[in-house]
Parts: sequence; C-alpha cells; structure tokens
Amino acid sequence: MGNKYHQRLIWITVLALIWQLTALSGIFSEMIFPGLDHIFLALIESFKDGTLVKQIIFSLSIIIQGLFLATAAALILALSSYFSESAAGLIDTLTALAHPLPGIALMPLILIWFGSGRTAILIVIIHSVLWPLILNLSTGFNSIPDIYTLIAENYRLNKLEFMFKILIPASLPYFISGLKIAWARSWRALISAEMLFGAINSLGGLGWFIFQKRVFFDLPGVFAGIIVIIVIGVTVEDFIFKKIEIRTVKKWGMLK
Amino acid sequence: MKKYILIIIIISLTLFIISGCEGPDQSNQKSITVAEQYGLAYAPVQLVKELGLLNNEDSDIKVEWKQLSNTTSIRESMLAGEVDIAFMAIPPFLIAKDKGMKWKIISGLSESPLGLMTNREYIKTLADFKDEDKIALPQPGSIQHILLSMAAQRNFKETDKFDDQLLTMNHPDAMNALLAGREVSAHFASPPYLFLESKEAGIKKILSGGEAFGGDFTFIIGVSTEEFYQQQSENYTLFLKALREAIEFIEQNPAEVSELLADNYDLSQTEMEEYLTWPGMEFTTEIKGLEEFLAFMTAEGYLEKKDYQRSELIFAEKNDLEDRENNEAEQKRGAAKNGE
Repeated sequence: MGNKYHQRLIWITVLALIWQLTALSGIFSEMIFPGLDHIFLALIESFKDGTLVKQIIFSLSIIIQGLFLATAAALILALSSYFSESAAGLIDTLTALAHPLPGIALMPLILIWFGSGRTAILIVIIHSVLWPLILNLSTGFNSIPDIYTLIAENYRLNKLEFMFKILIPASLPYFISGLKIAWARSWRALISAEMLFGAINSLGGLGWFIFQKRVFFDLPGVFAGIIVIIVIGVTVEDFIFKKIEIRTVKKWGMLK
Repeated sequence: MKKYILIIIIISLTLFIISGCEGPDQSNQKSITVAEQYGLAYAPVQLVKELGLLNNEDSDIKVEWKQLSNTTSIRESMLAGEVDIAFMAIPPFLIAKDKGMKWKIISGLSESPLGLMTNREYIKTLADFKDEDKIALPQPGSIQHILLSMAAQRNFKETDKFDDQLLTMNHPDAMNALLAGREVSAHFASPPYLFLESKEAGIKKILSGGEAFGGDFTFIIGVSTEEFYQQQSENYTLFLKALREAIEFIEQNPAEVSELLADNYDLSQTEMEEYLTWPGMEFTTEIKGLEEFLAFMTAEGYLEKKDYQRSELIFAEKNDLEDRENNEAEQKRGAAKNGE
C-alpha cells in the first residue's frame, strides 16, 4: 500500500517537472501551454473567490443523487430480471438498445423534453450509469455458485431473505466494480452535460466552470478545473472504494 | 533506479519528437485558411467563397474553408495556427487580445440589428424580468452578453444584474426553446433568427442592440493573426481585396447576391433579399464602436490591460495598404529594370 503511494508520488513529481520544463523552455506559447505556477495560481484564485467550491458542491450533489437513483433502479431491475424470465427479456432488450448509446447523443432530445436544468443533467447521468450497473449486477447474480442457492432452499429462506443474505452479498465484487464503472462514467456524463447545458443561476458545476474559463480564454483556469476533477476522482477511488472493498469483499476473502 | 531514468528519457524524447512534428511547410505555401460561421452577418464571406473571388485575384492560391461552430473554437484553432482569417464580434476578439493573443482586426464586415426577444407577456422592459426568467445567449463574453450587461449598467447601474439568469445556447437551440416557451423567457438573437422570431405571434422585442449599446456598432469584424499578416502579406492583401469586392457587391446589388446565396442559407430568394436589406443590416468595412466596447469592458473588469492604441488593435488601414501595394509594385518595377 505504502509503496504504491510512494511510487505514485515519484511519478507525479517527474511528470510535473517535465511539464514545467516544457513550459519554461518556450517551445509552445504560454497561451497554449501554461506553466504549473500559472495553473496553481488560477486554482488558488478560484478557491479564494468561492466560485470553485460552489461548483464542486453543485457537481458532487448531482452525481451523488444520480448514482443513488441509478443504483436503486439498477438493483430493482436486475433483481426482477433474476426472478422473472419475461422481465429478464424486457430488461435485456432495453439494455442492449440503450447501453451503447452515448448520453451526448440524447442531449437534443433531453433538451426538448426536460429543458436544460438540473433534471436534464441528472437524466444524462442516470442513463450513462444505469445500463452498465444492470449488466454487472446481472452477471454477478448469475455467477453465484449453485451451492449458495441450494443452501438458501435448505434454510427455507423467503425471497427477501435470499436477496439480502445471499444474492447481494455473494455478488458484491461485481456490484462494487459496477459502482466503480458507474462513478467514472457519471463524471464523464456530468462534465459534458454541464458544458453543453450552460449555467443555471450561474451554478453550472465543474463542467460549466471549465467552459467559462475556456470562453474567457483562460487556459490556466481550464487546467485548474481539470486538476480538481482528477483530484476528486482519485480521492474517491483510493479512499471510498478501497475502504468499502477492504471492509467487505476482501475481509470475506472474495477478492485478493 | 535505472528503470526510472530510462523511462524519464523515453518520455522526454517523446516530448521533443512531438514538438518537432509541429507544422512542416507552413510559410512558403500559397494558402489561406478561413473560418466560416453561419449567420446573415457573414454574407460577404459566403460570397467570397461562392464566387471564388480569391481565385479571381490569383488562380494559384489555395483556399481552405473551415466550418467551426462557435467563436471559442475558432479562436482556439487560430491559436493553434490552423486558421488564418476569421470573423467574429468585437468583444470575443478583445477578450483574447487582452489575454495575449497576437492578432488584430482586418476590417469591419457588417452591422446588424440585434434584439432581445421575449415570449412572456408580462415582460415589456428589462425591469419586468423576474429571477426565474432565463435569457438564452451564445456564451458569456459574447457580444450579446456584453450588450445585455451594457443595458443593465445603463438602466440599473448593475452590470451583472442578469448574469445569474443566463443560459448558454446556440442560436438555433435558443430559438426552438423560445418558441417552445417553457425553459427560456428571452433570447438575445441575431439575424436570421431575429427575423424569424419577430414573425412569430406572441414574441416581441424589448431591447435592440442599438439601445443596449447606445448607438451604432459593428457586429462582425474580420480578424487575422500577426503571423499571417507579416509572413503572407500578399495573401493578406488579396483576401482584403476580395472581401471589399464582396461587401461592395452586396451593398450595390442585393437582388443578385440573394439569388447566389439563398441556397446557402436555406431561404427563398425573396426572403434572402428581404433579410439582406432589412433596416439596420449594413455591410461595410468601417469599424464602429470599438472604443466604446473597449471602455466598457475595461471598466467592468472583462479586460485587464488598459489603453490600447488603435494601431495595436487594427492592422494598417486602407491608405497604408494601398501605399504598400504601390510600393510593392514600384519595387517590382525597380527589380525588373535592374534585371534588364
């Protein structure tokens, strides 16, 4: 564990150094390739005037809401397709149709049906998260060893007990990796949706923040926004998902 | 440790290779890349393209037309050296200039009526906007945004009064949203959207561009990079000539131009002519309102640097250009004589 962070730190330092040297060398104009000093100045400036914090909170709140709704929906759909064959047919068809469809392709429709507000962004997120989650959950449910289901029958567990005591815990590794995919995809969906839909009460999230910096020709500001996205992404991956894994699937011996 | 050093070397080598890849034979070729945008105010540029005016001047010249969807991406491709000449409104030009982009104005292109259109009955003036009424416009820092800020400053002494109500939308989307009448209460429109919207029942104009600005102003200007101006001065001059020819043609013969361009704009010929000659629609090389935009945008913090000289913003003007042409001609004659 410690070694991994050690390595990462070294690499980040090396990359930053190369970046800064390239910027200082003057191969590229400063407008195309700003130095790290400019970027961090822009970052600090944006934190100081409070705009960035507001946008981060806005973006995170939509993502959490979207992930929560999509996870709940995916659980319900995957469970019903596990228990009912006709539901499985329908959900399978829907997934096959909708999964390859990028959220961006739906933007014009969403704009007309739901306007350009928070709801629209939420729907884009749910769309890009729901289908991979269902796929992962279904795979997880279907790869449970028969012996588990037999045990459930032996104990005469009813459906609810079976779901919460056997089905979901036994497929948790799939669930967690599904959530990881969902998290990454929801970020992408969010940022592109925010860039397209424009601000609502000048609160448009991180995507909007980057777009605004771009429009005002402020490249260090654009990089500042990108850095924030990276930091949040890494933090969630390294701390939240890792912690969940350590407490559950690793502890249970399902994952090395 | 050896491994690390090796990888660092590889990465730095890759970087140098990438930097070496940049643009092979850019300077000596006879080519112009022009960015085009959709809109009636750009009609002379379309005309240069349709009539091949540049090739009339010099048949060897290679002209590339690039379709880009908005001012921001045009600016970015100019910065990347992919576009030589582009057309946009004064504020986006000034914003990039202020951030250090090396470019100047070639010429004015058009003046145009602009208007803040609303679909809400209770909105009669700017003061009637409620907090939940959304105003659609292309993007922050666009001419529409600056005009709205100017009007807000004039009427309420509050430049950013409407900034919390803006929705960034391109004109076609904004028009659809305005006609749908739900999400959007107002749209700061330019032609042809302005004209199309003004024909719809229930949609009215509450503020014109002129009222917001407090006078006449140039809507679209032509801009080019200093690099292109210096390194390809011949092409620059050629383009300017072709552009002036096109502008003159439109002003003198709108009927014929309408016939030529109607298909480009997906309009009938009569509509096209009606729009081209709409009151307030002027095609002229004159640049109006530059100082006013500069003063307002500096005062309101959109620009940081003050005190731009006119010569820092506009390339050498018409007389100089003719002088330069004459000089060049003379030099050639001189050279020919020497050669004899």
